[in-house]
Amino acid sequence: MKFVAKIWPRLYIAIAIVFFVAPLLSMARFAFQRIPVISLGKDNLFKRWTIDGLLTTLRDPEFLHSLSVSLKVAFFTVLVLLFLMVPTTLWVHLSAPRWRGVVETVTILPYVVPPIALVVGVSGTYRSIAPWFLASNYSLVPFYAILAMPFTFRSLDVGIKALDLRTLVDAAKSLGASSLRVMWNVLLPNLRTSLINAAFLTITVVLGEFTIASLLLKRTLPMYMAQAQGSEPQGALGLGLLILVLTTILFTLVSIIRKKDSKSINVKNINVGMVP
Amino acid sequence: MSALEFVNVSKSFGDVNALNNFTIALEQGELVSLLGPSGCGKTTALRIAAGFETSDTGSILLGSTNIISLPAHQRRMGMVFQSYSLFPHLNIRDNVAFGLKVRGVPGDVRKKRAGEMLDLVRLSDLGHRMPHQISGGQQQRVALARALATEPHVLLLDEPLSALDAKIRVEVRDEIRRLNRDLGVTTMFVTHDQDEAMSISDRICVMNNGVIEQIGSPRDVYNNPATSFVAHFVGSINSLPRGNTRVLIRPENLVLATHGEIAQWRGAVTDITFVGAFTKISVVLDNDKSSVSVLAISSQIDHNIAIGKNIGINEEIR
Amino acid sequence: MALTGISSLGQSDPKGGSHTRTPLQRFQLPVKFKPIGLIPFFGFVGLFLVWPAISLFRLAIQPTKNSDISAMREAITGDYLDSFIYTIKLSLLTALLGVLLGSLLAASVLRIERPRWFRNFMTSFAGVAANLGGIPLAFAFIAALGTQGLITKMIDYFGINLSDAGFRISNFAGITIVYLYFQIPLMFLIMVPAFNGLRASWSEAAASLGAAPWQYWRYVGLPLLTPALLGGFLLLFSNAFSAYATAYALSSGGARLVPVQIRFFLQGNTITGKDNLGYALAAWMIIIMLITMTGYLFVRRRAEKWQQ
Repeated sequence: MKFVAKIWPRLYIAIAIVFFVAPLLSMARFAFQRIPVISLGKDNLFKRWTIDGLLTTLRDPEFLHSLSVSLKVAFFTVLVLLFLMVPTTLWVHLSAPRWRGVVETVTILPYVVPPIALVVGVSGTYRSIAPWFLASNYSLVPFYAILAMPFTFRSLDVGIKALDLRTLVDAAKSLGASSLRVMWNVLLPNLRTSLINAAFLTITVVLGEFTIASLLLKRTLPMYMAQAQGSEPQGALGLGLLILVLTTILFTLVSIIRKKDSKSINVKNINVGMVP
Repeated sequence: MSALEFVNVSKSFGDVNALNNFTIALEQGELVSLLGPSGCGKTTALRIAAGFETSDTGSILLGSTNIISLPAHQRRMGMVFQSYSLFPHLNIRDNVAFGLKVRGVPGDVRKKRAGEMLDLVRLSDLGHRMPHQISGGQQQRVALARALATEPHVLLLDEPLSALDAKIRVEVRDEIRRLNRDLGVTTMFVTHDQDEAMSISDRICVMNNGVIEQIGSPRDVYNNPATSFVAHFVGSINSLPRGNTRVLIRPENLVLATHGEIAQWRGAVTDITFVGAFTKISVVLDNDKSSVSVLAISSQIDHNIAIGKNIGINEEIR
Repeated sequence: MALTGISSLGQSDPKGGSHTRTPLQRFQLPVKFKPIGLIPFFGFVGLFLVWPAISLFRLAIQPTKNSDISAMREAITGDYLDSFIYTIKLSLLTALLGVLLGSLLAASVLRIERPRWFRNFMTSFAGVAANLGGIPLAFAFIAALGTQGLITKMIDYFGINLSDAGFRISNFAGITIVYLYFQIPLMFLIMVPAFNGLRASWSEAAASLGAAPWQYWRYVGLPLLTPALLGGFLLLFSNAFSAYATAYALSSGGARLVPVQIRFFLQGNTITGKDNLGYALAAWMIIIMLITMTGYLFVRRRAEKWQQ
């Protein structure tokens, strides 16, 4: 019995790791080895590996353009979110605690409206009223801010709860600091972890979002990848892997920062963007 | 035959000897405290008795049966934790009845018995509340009722008062003592608080670094400490020079020298703290600058004593 | 409520300065109407989420030119009903499997205490995998289990032809496997803190009261995990139900999933004749998600009561 109890978790984890790693390895092989699967055998398993496909893609002006679009949109999304959600969350905690439940429920609304439904609604409304708005690449920004709202609020909410905000504001005020100064010199540095956490998650969400971009015909990174799948498949898959690796690094950075002032996590403050 | 007996129980975690040849016997109905600083092995001993921790060597006898290899749920030991540990999804009554439920006691019997147990800890009105709706002191009394509901052979208490406020702490402490006497249940009480141990125990087992320093009645341990560790840990004590050696004397066993009397020690008063019937006078001795405190009866103190004054101290003659 | 605590600090000023406003009060009470600071937030959500969503319903119930029945009704008949059933079945299955396999994975990983970094690594990886959706994920599975996939080829080597067995990466079984790639890690991330929330002293208390391990799990562990399991199930369901990019990239637009169906009615700028139907399908999606997320909120609020 003891032996079985010791073995089964390891066995199960091993199977899980195979399930999670095998597709990535297959993707890597396809991206970096110039041999069709049909003719793959023992003798040529380690032959003709090259990153040329990826390099070609990385030099593609279309790729560079889509990357710059995605990065700009990501930057402005983070900016909009911070300017919107930081004052809102602080206000909820300082001035209108009774509204916390309402605000929290509203921040969950983006889960109620799937991206595909949102984009249908958006084109049904804005296309006739403000076509110039949907024509701009930056029309993605407010909708991406909506997608990132649930975990941004949660991250800030948890950070502020851990702060003992009132004591902090009281202390700063009693020392004669102005409201803006309290915000800038006291609250923001203390919310650093929450802010970085939310910002990084937002960036990953924006860099991976496909549904809205594709239906609004915006040439973002995921759109480029979907199209390159046909013309330059090796490069597209290599790019997909590259983004995956970069995302992993981003996430590891976030978790290291989160560890630094680690708090216990529970169901209430898990940060997952749900946009597959 | 003892109710519960530890025989040469040893346990080490890596290089640390948590418990070394721990041997003690609890008589039926007795309340014994394991007292010591954190890391002295008291909690380890309790957890080995409960079956949550395995021992490296030794045996634990319940009556005449060695239960060392029995899993925790077959040992019939009631346990109360520092953190109350009531099941948060069950109401108070169901918490108390939990032990009966897993033993297959029918519902109506369970309910009746849980009611009786709640009467016993005077919480009969709270049966339908949830744990998060009652105070810490009430939660701990429910935990006591829950542990006693199954009529355990032994009641094990792991720092049960540490999370409570000072006033509630005394209430629950007295409750434990009362239950122990009324029900005659053998009780093992782990604490780091000497006042708690003194006021509640039949016997105290003072521990340090995994070893028993002394076992004795509270009076015994206080008045005749077996080792310097016990003397320092139980109550406060002064170390004063006498010839080439030092003597240990409790503050209440020192008296201020009256005018003209020859004093064994002299020193300058550094602080005077009034604590009701008694007054604590802190003194720095002239000859070796060691700090000493004297606990004097407030009404007998000379009004001329003030901070900075030089006074004489003698050992009380009994 | 919270305000009284703060302003009383200003009023308790012993020098009698209670008539002059302290800086604190200025910060606290700029206006009488407390939610005024929330106007930008509600305005933003209203403009970019609520208005488009509500407009969907308005557009969906508009009378249709060339049809007798309303688009809302048509969206749940015939092929469209099949699509909904197909999507709900897929979401239910991947949510159930995700709950089961993800919880098992969390329990297994928590059992392994050394090496220390392993738990952190698994949590980080799960964070990546749970967020990995859309195009790269579809690519990875096409490369692994597509007709020309590496794993397909390896299995073929052992004499099992996936294709002949009726398996396609774009059919029900295929999409289920692909979705599990993000469903399992999502459940893992939900269950790790839930398992950690089970205090050791609860299982010890149960044991000291005579409960065998299975009785502890039956009467204590499982009831305490139920909110996380149930909430996780609802989250996973909504996650799968609203997923679009993965399904789209897997099947190049031909899948029977509702989100992919909606796309037909909204091909970029061109509006097809039956665009009301697109709105109606989206509206029905929102209705289903509304039910799911209401359930989720309900479960969470109940759990929060005794989690404090």
